Amino acid sequence: MLQLQQISLVQFRNYIQQQFSFTEKVVGVCGLNGSGKTNLLDAIYYLGFTKSYFSRNDGQNVHHGMAGLRLQGQFLLNDEPHEIVSILRENNRKEFSLNGEEYKKFSEHIGRFPCVMIAPDDISMIIGGSEERRKFVDTILSQIDRNYLQHLIEYNKVLQQRNSLLKQAADQGNINEELLSVFNEQLSKNGEWIYAQRLFFMESFLVLVGQFYARIAGKDDQVFIVYESDLQKGKMLDLLLASRQKDSVLQRTTIGIHKDDLLIKMGESNFKNDASQGQRKSLLFALKLAEWQTLKTKKGFSPILLLDDVFEKLDEKRMHNLLKWVCTDDDGQVFITDTHPARLKQQLKEVGAGFQLIEL
Amino acid sequence: MQLPSQLLENAVAEFAKLPGIGKKTALRLVLHLLKQEVDEVSHFGETISKMRKEVQFCKRCSNISDTQVCSICSNTTGRNQQLICVVENIRDVIAIESTQQYNGTYHVLGGIISPLDGVGPDQLNIETLISRVKEEETKELLFALNPNIQGDTTIYYIQRKLGQTNCKVTTIARGISFGGELEYADEMTLARSITNRLPIEQYVR
Repeated sequence: MLQLQQISLVQFRNYIQQQFSFTEKVVGVCGLNGSGKTNLLDAIYYLGFTKSYFSRNDGQNVHHGMAGLRLQGQFLLNDEPHEIVSILRENNRKEFSLNGEEYKKFSEHIGRFPCVMIAPDDISMIIGGSEERRKFVDTILSQIDRNYLQHLIEYNKVLQQRNSLLKQAADQGNINEELLSVFNEQLSKNGEWIYAQRLFFMESFLVLVGQFYARIAGKDDQVFIVYESDLQKGKMLDLLLASRQKDSVLQRTTIGIHKDDLLIKMGESNFKNDASQGQRKSLLFALKLAEWQTLKTKKGFSPILLLDDVFEKLDEKRMHNLLKWVCTDDDGQVFITDTHPARLKQQLKEVGAGFQLIEL
Repeated sequence: MQLPSQLLENAVAEFAKLPGIGKKTALRLVLHLLKQEVDEVSHFGETISKMRKEVQFCKRCSNISDTQVCSICSNTTGRNQQLICVVENIRDVIAIESTQQYNGTYHVLGGIISPLDGVGPDQLNIETLISRVKEEETKELLFALNPNIQGDTTIYYIQRKLGQTNCKVTTIARGISFGGELEYADEMTLARSITNRLPIEQYVR
């Protein structure tokens, strides 16, 4: 099991210096708007992912008008204590260490202390562009298999090189065919590997999302998700050869796993266009909880669940179902934020699990 | 920085152009030279300008040389002339020479293929390498490039350019560094070391 026992924040966003101790599996965090609820959750996420959930650059995470920041967390993982420290020096150099050992590559840390965040802006994953959905899938797979992240990084590097070659070729009027085919091969090698991983993963994951959706929504809206990839049409190397002309004209790589998407359908229609606010929220929760469940199965312990402002998103009955399910899980730690202390207390009491309330 | 002499200022500006040298270090160096005898400083200046004027790049392998063909390429008795080690730059030649384990020749590419950085195959000494392998009937081409994506790209590209040939193409081993600790090796390296494991009789030598 994974549990955060203590966290200390120094010059992180609106915190100058503060320490929190967590004794219970369920932690409610309440306070007014701007009191730092989300920032506290993000600090926890930061220790798991070596970066902020809200993808700002690190300079933006520093308290206004100050230089440098420090986050330190004491975790208990399978009864063993672990200490994670992240320091952003005054010169913007970042250090990240586990039990005093500094990481050379931050990517090695990803997945060791998994957490899942659900925040209000995540709805863009459903209504926004395909990039958000790829990022979601990549985040899960990177946490399960470190090789996945490595292949993805390599794929993206080769992709940039290939695009750069296509641009230069357009300027110069001729292209180095041999170099292009070297890039094609390097790209295909990584692309095929990533595709196979995604395909295998989607098979069970998408079923899980459907089950969670039904549980949260309380009814069957015939929502289903389809994994779409160019590579379903054939081998990536052949596809790259076939799109050679198009790529040259557009000066970028037009096929590949960097174009993959999840198509969300509701009955016959497109979920994106026709779903209600409530349905969108239910699906968002279903996706995130499926992520949580998948990580739990693969890791053998529950990831930390970070629920930011969730009461604003679901009606009371759905919320109750959801809380009951995540809070009474045998070993998972859950952090929930809300603006109303009374409402949060009431909800957590009803669920019946031991909880702790932090007021900011 | 206010300096009392224009001549001094010019000298400081020249030193400050060197990599890793800032204005203050440059001033310190110039003041040091100023304390020395005129002859000594003249000798210093002449050595530098003579070096730049007279150093040549070996027309065969692009290594630094005092003659048209470098000492490694012209050593036909002690060096295996049919073995070529392909490196990115001259610093790599120096590194490999210091091991005293290599007795073949070199070929300095002068960089690595990376269109993102504006470096294509045409900017590198690749054509000369291809023709060299064909003309000299080279037995083995040993790639000693950095183990990353661009390094791989460069190797694949040259291999493709070579086409059908009797020349054996190899690359330096990749894996756990000597004196390293398994526990701290990154997973990619360790995984690769296991895939490409060595028979003991090859290892203990």
